[in-house]
Amino acid sequence: MGAATVWSFHISPAMGFQQPELARIFVWHFPCPILATVLLLLGGWFSANYLKTKDRHWDERAASANELGFIFCLLTMATGIVFSEVQWGAWWQWDPRQTSFLVVLFIYAAYFAVRGAFPDPERRASHSAAYALTAILPALFLIFVFPRLPQIVSFHPSDSILKGKIKGEYAYVVLTLMLLMGILSVWLYRLRVRAGLMALDSEFNNAELAIGSSTSTPTGVVRPVRISPEDGGSA
Amino acid sequence: MNSGWKAEIAAVFGKELRSELRSRSGLTTAGLFGIVTVFTIAFASMNTKLDGNIAAGLLWVAVLFSSIVSLPRTFVTEEEQGTGDLLRQWARPHAVYWGKALFNLAQLGAMSLILSFLYLGFTGLDLKIAWLYWLTLFAGCAALAGAVTLTGAIVARAANRSSLAGAIAVPILLPIMAAGVAGMRAAFGSGFAESGAMSALGLVGYAVATFAIGPWLFAAIWKS
Repeated sequence: MGAATVWSFHISPAMGFQQPELARIFVWHFPCPILATVLLLLGGWFSANYLKTKDRHWDERAASANELGFIFCLLTMATGIVFSEVQWGAWWQWDPRQTSFLVVLFIYAAYFAVRGAFPDPERRASHSAAYALTAILPALFLIFVFPRLPQIVSFHPSDSILKGKIKGEYAYVVLTLMLLMGILSVWLYRLRVRAGLMALDSEFNNAELAIGSSTSTPTGVVRPVRISPEDGGSA
Repeated sequence: MNSGWKAEIAAVFGKELRSELRSRSGLTTAGLFGIVTVFTIAFASMNTKLDGNIAAGLLWVAVLFSSIVSLPRTFVTEEEQGTGDLLRQWARPHAVYWGKALFNLAQLGAMSLILSFLYLGFTGLDLKIAWLYWLTLFAGCAALAGAVTLTGAIVARAANRSSLAGAIAVPILLPIMAAGVAGMRAAFGSGFAESGAMSALGLVGYAVATFAIGPWLFAAIWKS
């Protein structure tokens, strides 16, 4: 990652920007919304699997994917806002893509609000899975449809890589960072899932221990308590 | 759909209607909220002819927040009054969803009609394309009713349900509002009729998709 960052500072600046030197933040900005979108879809897929199987491992995977997606969404907003100030002259432009991704960020945040509202793990898993799937349709609309509507005018170009608008060494740096951030997100996701599953297993083992101890011989003695008017309620 | 399903849905719808007629809480809350909002907009823009772009946005703000205030109550009251468990025993989840969603649609449709007449009357706006206005309004109401019914069911058993209902509903309702504003803007003569019609059709599609997946998601949480 460090080498790719150094590389991004050595390529010739991209022309066509207000401040070509400062447009290098684009190489970090570009992979973030793509990874956030992929993780959002993965979260939806895992949530659907949870509702189908009621296996809480799927819920852990969904939560992990959404947590990581939320982080990439935040990075998208942070890098985008800096880019907007430098290149377009204002921190916030009400650009359709900027706005639609802010709403996607709210959707992610609402998912965690739902998770936090239910202390019971089974209910938390089912309700947050239902919310994740409810949110898929508006999220897809916001990411793919809304910015491409004919009446929408955006500063953001669409399909830059596919249409060959980013080329040469610049494209190599962007794609390299995209690949590296993808690998990093897979690593982080696996770590988070492993930690979540370990917590789930320990919770399960504790529950089993509690059941086991309740059927064993009681160690304490429960004294019978007699409450009657003659002795004034004393034992 | 066989007669058993229809009877169950009609029974849930009837129960909601009777509860509403008895308490009048939903329509009163949403109606009062919407009417006060419309009046405030008209008051704030006194002697000023509203631009179609702004007028469409303001009307949708009134409709959106009125729906968020009232519609989740159909599930929240079940849990508050302790009747949710009885309903779980008595009716199938799909019938409960359809019954409540159709009731919410009827309530929101009635409220939107009242708000529309008041809004058009107070602001003196001209409807350039009337059919587009009404199509956008009713398709938007259907999409709102389907989505808010589901989010209401999600929050009904949460501890902080009142505040959570709005917090989780607004992000997923914003696309409906965006399409609704685009449709009405064109209906007020401030945009292209074709793009307005496309937005209205988008709302119809959104409503169909919400009512198609809503019962399945609802069934997954209703008995958990």
